[in-house]
Amino acid sequence: MTTLRVLTVDDSRTILAMLHHTLSNAGFEVLQAEDGQQGLDVLMKESVDVVITDINMPVMDGIEFIRHVRATGNHQSLPILILTTETSQDKRELGKAAGGTGWIVKPFDPEKLISVIHRVVH
Amino acid sequence: MSDLDDFKATYFDECSELLNELEEQFAAIEAGERDSDRLNAVFRAIHSIKGGAGAFGFSALVGFAHAYETLLDYVRDGRVELTDDVCALCIRANDIIADHVKAAQSGDVLDADYGMEEKERFDALARGEAADDDETGGESIEEFDIDFTPVMVNLDAVEEVAEAPAAEDAFDTAPLQPETGHWEVTFTPHRALFERANDPLLLFRELALLGQMHTRAVLGEIPPLANFEPFAVYCTWEISIVSPTVTEAAIREVFEFVEGDCDITVTQVGAPAAAAPVAKAAPAAAADDGLDLLALADDEVGVPAAPAAKAAAPKADAAAQDKFEEAPGLSFSELAETMAPPPKPVAPPRAKPAAIAPAAAPAAEGEDHGTRAVGVQSIRVDLDKVDRVVNMVGELVITQSMLTQQMDETLRARYTELVRGLEVLAQTTRGLQDSVMAIRAQPVKSVFSRMPRLVRELATKTGKKIKLETIGENTEIDKTVIEQLSDPLTHMIRNSADHGIEQPDVRLGRGKSETGTIRLSAEQAGGNILIIVEDDGGGINRERVLQVARDKGVIPPDTNPTDEQIDQLIFAPGFSTAAEVSDLSGRGVGMDVVLSNIKKIGGSVHVRSSTGKGTRMTLRLPLTLAVLDVMLVKVGDSPYVVPLSSIVETIQVSRASFERVPSGGQVLQVRGEYVQVIDLAKRFDMKSQTDQDSRFVVLCEAEGSQKVALIVDDIIGQQQVVIKSLEENFERVEGIAGGTILGDGNVALIVDVQGLKTQLIHKNAA
Repeated sequence: MTTLRVLTVDDSRTILAMLHHTLSNAGFEVLQAEDGQQGLDVLMKESVDVVITDINMPVMDGIEFIRHVRATGNHQSLPILILTTETSQDKRELGKAAGGTGWIVKPFDPEKLISVIHRVVH
Repeated sequence: MSDLDDFKATYFDECSELLNELEEQFAAIEAGERDSDRLNAVFRAIHSIKGGAGAFGFSALVGFAHAYETLLDYVRDGRVELTDDVCALCIRANDIIADHVKAAQSGDVLDADYGMEEKERFDALARGEAADDDETGGESIEEFDIDFTPVMVNLDAVEEVAEAPAAEDAFDTAPLQPETGHWEVTFTPHRALFERANDPLLLFRELALLGQMHTRAVLGEIPPLANFEPFAVYCTWEISIVSPTVTEAAIREVFEFVEGDCDITVTQVGAPAAAAPVAKAAPAAAADDGLDLLALADDEVGVPAAPAAKAAAPKADAAAQDKFEEAPGLSFSELAETMAPPPKPVAPPRAKPAAIAPAAAPAAEGEDHGTRAVGVQSIRVDLDKVDRVVNMVGELVITQSMLTQQMDETLRARYTELVRGLEVLAQTTRGLQDSVMAIRAQPVKSVFSRMPRLVRELATKTGKKIKLETIGENTEIDKTVIEQLSDPLTHMIRNSADHGIEQPDVRLGRGKSETGTIRLSAEQAGGNILIIVEDDGGGINRERVLQVARDKGVIPPDTNPTDEQIDQLIFAPGFSTAAEVSDLSGRGVGMDVVLSNIKKIGGSVHVRSSTGKGTRMTLRLPLTLAVLDVMLVKVGDSPYVVPLSSIVETIQVSRASFERVPSGGQVLQVRGEYVQVIDLAKRFDMKSQTDQDSRFVVLCEAEGSQKVALIVDDIIGQQQVVIKSLEENFERVEGIAGGTILGDGNVALIVDVQGLKTQLIHKNAA
């Protein structure tokens, strides 16, 4: 049985902790990064099956992070989900334009989170 | 709940850091440093506070933070100027946020209109400056109050949250709605869809969960190879979905992420189809069986097609079909035929070895396989390949039992469909395992059938009269074991004929019938196969055995072994009692060959002799690779498993019921019978965690129906385990028969009841 690896990128420890809890309970292996730059660093070293990223982060925000990921050779088909709030429709569009695969609405419902991941990951 | 409390604690910690940060940032901003970095940091801090608050359902905090955040967003991109006034308002807002956080932490409720004045000023500022901005018009703060209802996230009880209007959830129970039934979807992905790492296959997989799905790939647009652009998309899919409950919204939700990256139409056809009753079973089958095919298929593939659904399927587009057939590459319908098995939820009956081959035989010949000894069709398969399957099935069993373990009561109550699915999975896994084991298993007949001739030859050469009886020759054992069985068995029978059975006149003189009997039998006893060679001869001549053993230095001259120990000496290396080495038994090797061969395959040999009456040798062989039914127990804080086959009963007894015996051991009286006691914690050097007055006792039956009581700290339950050899992976450990990996990944050792009992006897004898 192969475990799916998820990279979670968020500057909020609370969100990271909740993602970690939900995802590891669902059997995923969870990697964490606190901003886009850290996220890129992780991707340089580790292979992951899906990325979940916040938009508003210090150092490198989520949009720039996604652009960087897509620009690097072997990550064109890596699913990237954006964490957004219900009201920030424009953020979704920005994220999509940068190459985001889909989005997760905060506050996320654990079941929904898992089902959305399965929508973008084999 | 403690998880949620932990998250809250993390959140409040984070909030106090963020509030400090806000203070620092605004100190600098007030001092005139109004660069975007500072504003971004402020925005992020408020955003993070809001995000966490939403997760925990602190709605007052969310509401205020959202209004504040919106204003900050406008300030950040210059739509609202950061005047001293606005700055002062923000500092005031920080205090309000801090109060909200404090209230949330202590559980206090603030006045409903607390901060309302500031909030209204945010609104006014945002409205005033952003009124002419179309893009953000939809995000006005009033609308927020209506739209944004925070979802309370309870991570421990997923089921409570799941009242979300997810379409899948409505699947089981929703009543028939007028706008549901049969839907047709046409879907043409654009290149951008793939560039964002979306995948039609996954969308179809999700779509298949909604109802019965048929996909048809329209491949007519595929150009000749020379003009083929690798990154272009030439394919359109026509999909029909039949379900009594699915709505357009549910279908569109699947395509939520790819809106704009594809052309999609969703139209309803006809009335709800008659396929409704099978709709529930269909999605799972579709998702599992037909996954790869759904994306490729040209026809009803992967979904067990109900006739009604077939009839209602999208108009058989003959043109598309034709074009498809021109398309190069695989024949998808052929692929479909080979890959989409009919769904069969019930495990097949355990296949007899003779019936393995017929799996490849035409179905029409499906008569009673057992009677068709002749003309059975078979295929030769490399044993390695079979072993790979056996190993994978072993892992599957572990995974399946892990899944079952994960289902606690609340989950069971919530996901009845899933529970049913798991039950079917368990059944199927069991069936699969039996079938796979059956492939490797062969009846012992193949070995037993060589023995009558051997016995005839032996009788002729020795001038004895011997008859051979065989019992249980259809007992099945793993092929590897069978191959290893032939030599030891031959040796044992020779031994019986040569040394056991007496000459006819001697027999008559002892009041026995002229003809001696060797009985060869095989039976399955739990996780073991017992092969017994029994003769009604003179029994082991212990005096001579002891004499020879001493003479040959097999045992030191001054020891006084028990009768049983003397009997076992015939298996000692280099031991042979025949006065002159006969060409039958002798051959320069003794019974030690038997023992070493049997040990090699994880078995044991036990001999029991009765002077003048006969000898009985028992081979205990493992059903290697077999799955063992066990009782999971705890000794100290470690899990151990006891083979269910050796357990008679489990009881709870008070400490006082154990009685000491002079030899130093303990006994327990169970229904008038005294049973020897083994405290597993003491035996395995574990620290017993129980200091209660009563102890759990697993009453086991060892060889020869001798009982032994094992004291354990807890009894957890029954389950199946895959045996892993300890010798292969580590080394032999007395009292342990092997190891196993439990569903949760922990290693549990398998208690060797017979071994423990034997040790006990030896210890007491010593």
